[in-house]
Amino acid sequence: MNILIKSAKIFDSTNKKLHLQKRDILLKNGIIDTIAPTIKEDGDVKVISRDNLCVSIGWFDSSVSFGEPGYEERETIVNGLKTAANGGFTDIILNPNTNPVPYTSSTISFIKDRAKNTSTTLHPLGALTVNSEGVDLAELFDMSNAGAVGYADHKKPTDNANLLKIALQYAQNFNGLVYSFPLDTKIAGKGIVNEGSVSTSLGLKGIPALAEELQVARDLFILEYTGGKLHIPTISTAGSVKLIADAKKKGLDVSCNVALPNLVFTDETLEEFDTNFKVLPPLRTKKDVTALIKGVKSGVIDFITTDHTPLDIEQKKIEFDNAAYGTIGLETAFGILNTIFDVETTVNTLTKGRDRYGIHTPLFAEGEKANLTLFDENTAYTHTEKNTISTSKNSMFYNLALRGEIFGVIANNTVTIKN
Amino acid sequence: MSELSVKHLLGIKYLNKNDIDLIFETADHFKEVINRSIKKVPSLRDITIANIFFENSTRTKLSFELAEKRLSADVINFSASQSSVKKGETLIDTVNNILSMKVDMVVMRHPNPGACVFLSKHVNASIINAGDGAHEHPTQALLDSYSIREKLGEVSGKNVVIVGDILHSRVALSNILALKLQGANVKVCGPKTLIPKHIESLGVTVETDLRKALNWCDVANMLRVQNERMDISYFPSTREYTQQFGVNKALLESLDKEIVIMHPGPINRGVEITSDVADSNQSIILGQVENGVAIRMAVIYLLASKIK
Repeated sequence: MNILIKSAKIFDSTNKKLHLQKRDILLKNGIIDTIAPTIKEDGDVKVISRDNLCVSIGWFDSSVSFGEPGYEERETIVNGLKTAANGGFTDIILNPNTNPVPYTSSTISFIKDRAKNTSTTLHPLGALTVNSEGVDLAELFDMSNAGAVGYADHKKPTDNANLLKIALQYAQNFNGLVYSFPLDTKIAGKGIVNEGSVSTSLGLKGIPALAEELQVARDLFILEYTGGKLHIPTISTAGSVKLIADAKKKGLDVSCNVALPNLVFTDETLEEFDTNFKVLPPLRTKKDVTALIKGVKSGVIDFITTDHTPLDIEQKKIEFDNAAYGTIGLETAFGILNTIFDVETTVNTLTKGRDRYGIHTPLFAEGEKANLTLFDENTAYTHTEKNTISTSKNSMFYNLALRGEIFGVIANNTVTIKN
Repeated sequence: MSELSVKHLLGIKYLNKNDIDLIFETADHFKEVINRSIKKVPSLRDITIANIFFENSTRTKLSFELAEKRLSADVINFSASQSSVKKGETLIDTVNNILSMKVDMVVMRHPNPGACVFLSKHVNASIINAGDGAHEHPTQALLDSYSIREKLGEVSGKNVVIVGDILHSRVALSNILALKLQGANVKVCGPKTLIPKHIESLGVTVETDLRKALNWCDVANMLRVQNERMDISYFPSTREYTQQFGVNKALLESLDKEIVIMHPGPINRGVEITSDVADSNQSIILGQVENGVAIRMAVIYLLASKIK
């Protein structure tokens, strides 16, 4: 199929000639054929023309959860990928928090198999340890051969420092990326929200920033000893930003990301005990939010994630203590980020990170495979539960003033465009 | 100003000073009623109240029940141990089932902070919080302030120290909020391990020397150490706790002035206070219990008048 994208404003900061220019783009069989000021509609071509149409290479999200296998009532892989496409994402990293936990090559293969023929490509993480129990290393190399792009016990800290040491050493044979969730479980205790004035006035048990920073510091010490590639997912405190900045200055091969909720909200949103704001890491303070935004701008934080976590209503419409952690976010990520950063920074942020996982970063050039996100940079809108595609509706981002809308994506020679 | 600003009593943080004044004025009236030979008024003959206790309670439950009965309300009692909660029913379903039997008001105690706030958003009844985890216990704080007002004439300007396990205490939080709202000065005193790190954000100061705290205060509210809520030892032994934070007669008599001793109960005699302190003239512990009924009558009466 041939597609002609008409008069699209191009966002590609790596290409000074095209960046912010309006061009027609002709795609033939999934390949960018021509980029030119005007291209004539010729023969059998599907024309995409919208007011305020913008285009960039497809967006990337490094932490997405669905529910298949095991929790299909939360989200299936097919509908999850459709949700991602509607949020503008063409590549996502899928967290290993299904049931069974993917800790063998066969489960990785199953997941990849379910994600065929979609515009958004799914890149699975494998579990770091058998059943994510934190005891024995899983078959990391075998999973790597099946398509796993990194190894994590999702949101479960590796309490055993020696196990992390071994994992970082072992994965070097095949350049594997090892995750370590930054939380000292003993210091965190039964905490469920940020420890601070809000937790004190709500009587909720707090997780001090110390619980995160202690683990980050420990992991960086281990990394310095072992070498290897470490990823610290979803940091949330100003202290973690500083620790990682210092480690990068030292030349350690560490990356980290930040979850969108931690860039947008503070723990003050918990005053009404709304369980949609119960996330892990917990929402922190204004000081932390400021440091995290600064960390994104300076590059200390490598990329931003929605940390999209679909949960059915039975896990959210209950007492705060008993509710599960997480919010969905794929469909609102752009509109939110675009209120924090300018459009160029937002698009740059959303297109960063693939290389950390060994995933090819698409190029916006003739002869390249089309991997594109189509969007509007400015329209003000609000997202509601009613127009949510995700199977689960647990979102902390409803009814906010967002800026910029997604039209859809084109990737894998497949088009997903909203009507 | 003759009605409360709120539909529910979920916590002191949702009240204003006028609400507290109104509750106290109403309680004055009911305190006179419960000291009559006929201790009952017909005010709430058309109101049905469910006391739903998901945590054990003796005095609070009895106090509420007595308050309800003295207002002539119909009362049903429900506790988690005999309920379908154990069969996996959700809180909303449990309460809605009870409300379907035409109940107007729910008094609830629950182990989770915010459970009453949560319930108030999802069910159609007036909710009174009888203690939700380590969040609030508003009627206890109201009766404590009421007892101070009764003993010392007013709460404003008085120095109150809350001693003991602040970390696990809903009584401490509600008391701090209520006392501050009325213009009292508040200190907390206890081992650092049992004082929330960010407690000063509530406008109180921390004192770890009990003698200094007692010499400063007009009123000492002694809290129980809540061993049942502790996952690890926050101090090495009860003996060592008592050495540092227990009030005995000798300590009391060595102070510069005569202070008032309060305790929300249940008392661990010989731990936070000795028997001779609990039973002394300076103690108003039993007065607090009596005032508890009057305060709860006032709260129920005022909330019920909003239903009507």
